[in-house]
Amino acid sequence: MAGIYDPIPTREVAERLRGAAQDRLDEFDDDAVYAYLADAVYQERSRLERSRGRWMDEDKIAHQAIERAAVATRRARRDQERAILELVDGYAHEIHNRFSHRTHRFATKILPGALTRLLTAAQPMDLLGGGFDPASRMSVQGDVPLLKELAKTHTLVLAPTHVSNLDSPMIGYAGFAAGLPPFIYGAGLNLFTNPAMSFFMSRLGAYTVDRRKKHGLYKHTLKDYSVDSIGRRCHSLFFPGGTRSRSGRIESRLKKGLLGTAIQAWQQGLAAGRPHPEVLVVPCTLSFSLVLEAETLIEDSLSEEGKSRYIISDDEFSEPRVVASFASRVLNLDASMFVRFGRPMDLVGNPVDDDGHSLDQAGQHIDRRGYVADSSGRVVFDEQRDRVYTEHLADALVGAYHRDQVVVSTHLVSYAAWKILEARHPRLDTFQRVLLSPDQRQIENSEMLQALGHLLEQLDERAARGEIQLALPTPAQSQTRAHAVLDEALDRFSQFHARPGLERRGRWLATEPKLVLYYGNRLAHSGLQIGTHP
Amino acid sequence: MNVGIIGSGNWGKALATLAAEAGHQPRMGYRGRPPGGFPGTPNLPALVRESDLVLIATAPSGVRGTIQASRPGPGDVLVIASRGLEPETGLWLSHVVTAESRCLRVGAIAGPALAAEVMRRRPSALVAASRFDAVADLTQDALHSSICRVYTSNDLRGVELAGAMVDVLAVAVGAADALNLGLGVHGVVVTRGLAEAARLGEALGANATTFAGLAGVGDLVASSSHSDHPGYQAGQALARGSSRSDYVLQKAQAVLTMARKAQVELPLTEAIAAIAAGKVKLRLALDALMRRDATAE
Repeated sequence: MAGIYDPIPTREVAERLRGAAQDRLDEFDDDAVYAYLADAVYQERSRLERSRGRWMDEDKIAHQAIERAAVATRRARRDQERAILELVDGYAHEIHNRFSHRTHRFATKILPGALTRLLTAAQPMDLLGGGFDPASRMSVQGDVPLLKELAKTHTLVLAPTHVSNLDSPMIGYAGFAAGLPPFIYGAGLNLFTNPAMSFFMSRLGAYTVDRRKKHGLYKHTLKDYSVDSIGRRCHSLFFPGGTRSRSGRIESRLKKGLLGTAIQAWQQGLAAGRPHPEVLVVPCTLSFSLVLEAETLIEDSLSEEGKSRYIISDDEFSEPRVVASFASRVLNLDASMFVRFGRPMDLVGNPVDDDGHSLDQAGQHIDRRGYVADSSGRVVFDEQRDRVYTEHLADALVGAYHRDQVVVSTHLVSYAAWKILEARHPRLDTFQRVLLSPDQRQIENSEMLQALGHLLEQLDERAARGEIQLALPTPAQSQTRAHAVLDEALDRFSQFHARPGLERRGRWLATEPKLVLYYGNRLAHSGLQIGTHP
Repeated sequence: MNVGIIGSGNWGKALATLAAEAGHQPRMGYRGRPPGGFPGTPNLPALVRESDLVLIATAPSGVRGTIQASRPGPGDVLVIASRGLEPETGLWLSHVVTAESRCLRVGAIAGPALAAEVMRRRPSALVAASRFDAVADLTQDALHSSICRVYTSNDLRGVELAGAMVDVLAVAVGAADALNLGLGVHGVVVTRGLAEAARLGEALGANATTFAGLAGVGDLVASSSHSDHPGYQAGQALARGSSRSDYVLQKAQAVLTMARKAQVELPLTEAIAAIAAGKVKLRLALDALMRRDATAE
């Protein structure tokens, strides 16, 4: 089988991407070619100028390449095209991973014994050893046997929610543990600076994405790479939210760029008459009791400056000591991580049956090729149409995220706490509420238990209808469920954060509003009510 | 181009006239008696399958049933020509199509093209809106001719909402005329009525300028100047003593359902709904509207 099991050399990838770029250039007039190149030159020069003194090795190469391209902007179209293709060639080398089935087997084999070290080790060899077994700590849910079957005849695009930088290795491992084939995924260039992380990421299927490059030429190359990979039957993983959720909320607005490459790859496969052109999307939710980067993420969400920070280079993930603490204290807890694979869907968001056929509202098969082919069966390419289709897909994914969300004790207790503070201070906005004084933000134990009892009733009803998933503790004999949930959440919170989200002080619960907001936001879309404030 | 038209009333026939005038082959889908003047079929699934474009010209309350009966699929293109929202649910009619079928390529038309005038081949204009450029272009191609100018738009929400609001606002004009309130009121209803439509539209993701175009001002001016328009007639009946109008109430309630969800205040529409429900006398409602706090435009 071609694709991920039979990696192609970088030079071949570069050739394919140059071909795709040339096809695009052939559609451009002279002014458009000039503007395309000039924009790349301008944006790259600006970026490199802003980061002067902090250049990575890749930046030195980028600087030389962009200065050569700058010269071409003053020359004829032929020279400009050549410069563009040269840039594409460089980007192709930067992006393409060196994935192979053999190294994937090796990486996943040592991963169970080394995940903790993975996060902090300075050298790949440091990874060997360690006693952490993620398989016993991570709950992998969903119809995995169905996905394994579908993966034989369809290319799967996994679309998870994004919480933490740990998501990619976790999903990589969850997929491996569940017996799924490997998925390739784009990982930020900044994540490759740790040699151990880089070693694992590339072996687990990561290709390189430099989010600092904002110009169209780079974005097109990245998309062309994704289209080409899916077309080669590489199962792929995109985080449709684009970046980690800053607020803790489940993604509601998804980025359509990379997601839209799936429909392009499908059409190209159909048009070329490839043997297995069909592509399906698999929603996936990640739920962690505690999140390594929670404090930085919510700070970013609350600050104006933070809202524009797409890449965070100074969060907890960049501090080996903090990561080590998190890995040893939190990842080793039972029921602290949930990876749930949802029902697959087609590329416009329709459900599919167990054979991958798209279904209508009555559960009857429909011919999904009709979305992209004319009445004679000829594929009609239309980027604008495909953007709208991808919006439909994004809406369907958001719906699936809500259904497949796994509610854990820290999320539920935080949601209850925030709702109590909201009810107590209705005139304050979010920013004022996180600045409440310590005694203003204390909550009585009994008040929390009452709120939790009310929330649990609503959640049970929704869970029975399949509208949400619960992973809440079973109470001991003398306990109510609300007690058990609260006790577990307090225990979890005491494991990692410098100031826990909630902490018991006699009959009171002290809250850390920012963390309570962050974890509670996981349920912000739910509309769950805590009942009448006493 | 094969243009299927479902709904064999006057509006359906007017659309068939436009398609034929544009050089295409219209075919009417019907339930019950066959329409005269154009070829027709009672087999709605076959009509959809064999058409390049299907126009839905039933009453808004009939759109769901039409979709269930005609079963459009991924390859079909459907354009809603029935102005309004679904009365029972307050949903967009385009949403009803995608909720009841796997057809995604959906559009809507609206504008100052009145059935009676179109059939007499008088000049008119429409706006064809869809999130899909190709659907808007196809609709333009199907209906554009020397008797009807068709413009395209991507603002499907705006065009659908404008179509719904025009029907409601025409009631106010009809009532004002029956009470001999003068021409100034026409201007007030057109501008303030469409201002609240635009407010709601923006909250729902529509483009405010759509309401200043053919689907908004254009359609409202035409509809409220036409004594045969059902909204205008209902307004006249209310002014002359009818205690209520279910027709108006349904239309207004559908819009208000949407406005409540979007948390947008629509004073004129609320007043029309209250009058149509028989909760308040027309004169008192008018008085209450005129006594609202003075504000900036």
